[in-house]
Amino acid sequence: MSTYVYGITASSHPSLPSAVGGVGDPPSPIRVLKEGGLAALVSDAPEGLRPKRRELLAHSNVLAEVGAGGCVLPMRFGSLAPDDDTVTGVLAERAEHYKERLAALDGKVEYNIKASHAEEAVLHRVLSENPEIRAITEANRQAGGGTYEERLRLGEMVVAAVKAQEAEDATDVQHTLEPAADAVSVGPDSSGWLANVSFLVDREGVETFLTAVEQLRKGHPHLDLRVNGPLPPYSFVDPGPAEPAGTMTGVASPETAESVEE
Amino acid sequence: MTVVPAQQTGGGGGSSGLYDVLELVLDRGLVIDAFVRVSLVGIEILKIDVRVVVASVDTYLRFAEACNRLDLEAGPRKNPGLPDLVGEMTESGARGKSKGALSGAAETISDAFKQARDERDEGEAQPKPRARKATASRRKEEQE
Repeated sequence: MSTYVYGITASSHPSLPSAVGGVGDPPSPIRVLKEGGLAALVSDAPEGLRPKRRELLAHSNVLAEVGAGGCVLPMRFGSLAPDDDTVTGVLAERAEHYKERLAALDGKVEYNIKASHAEEAVLHRVLSENPEIRAITEANRQAGGGTYEERLRLGEMVVAAVKAQEAEDATDVQHTLEPAADAVSVGPDSSGWLANVSFLVDREGVETFLTAVEQLRKGHPHLDLRVNGPLPPYSFVDPGPAEPAGTMTGVASPETAESVEE
Repeated sequence: MTVVPAQQTGGGGGSSGLYDVLELVLDRGLVIDAFVRVSLVGIEILKIDVRVVVASVDTYLRFAEACNRLDLEAGPRKNPGLPDLVGEMTESGARGKSKGALSGAAETISDAFKQARDERDEGEAQPKPRARKATASRRKEEQE
């Protein structure tokens, strides 16, 4: 039977193993495989494991629980080792790397922020800031909607204005929150947000970060901001800063979409 | 459907979707080459609401229509927000595709993956019509 791997942590982690059940139905009990100073959180892998809602939540919940007690390096969903020995082999082989990551991420959590436009509110904003668009809208309305060409022209202007607003807001989201975070990771932008950004936040600085989120929200009432955290540092397990401060690649645009599959 | 994630999740107007919670689990995290990954082919459980504005005649006309309908006298105000639940999100996303000004589309993650690849390969920005159809029929199955 193969072994499902949830994450890697220090063997000194205070709350091992997780009381939360793992993947499978009934949920597989979580086991801990120790090697050197490291520990892998694993369970038996159920036959025919599929990426179903329940399984994804199980993976997420195990890591959330363990992550609440101390730093854990989360695996991406669905990592299977042929057996336990393979897992401890990996821990032994790359001990230095994982220990470095655990030390670097100790005491830190991830907050993922997704922003999208509230449609009506952003149209109001565009109209209020652009007299020409507003005038054409009024004219079209009085003409019973306007001709095809007039509607096309209006629509084109509105789309350009909304896209510009998307880019501006994406930058605002990152720049407003960046100072309250230790690191920033811009997520794949193909999935329908104008910004999808993860922030690495020190546990001590969570309040400051959330205050910054509230300020962002107040200053941008046309944005739908979705805050997800505190999470184990999913976006920061690989070494090196994911994005140098100041760059902004999270502007949603299908032309630059990157596949998130590897 | 009741899903209570272990983390706090909140959004503008209190909206959040399951996809928001799980995207990270699927897309990020450690990948170790000595392990294999469960196939994500056919993943059909998560929905996203595509709200990226795409430049096209279709979009222009929908935006013009949206402006036409907009109550200009009312001040800018916040939308009530996206529905909380994935099922509702799917519904509204599918409808938004044809009616909303933003190009709302409910899609499976695999659709999104496929689409991202297609778009990159073909340099085309518009979502594929067949993806929408597939989503609509698939949606029924998932709600059962």
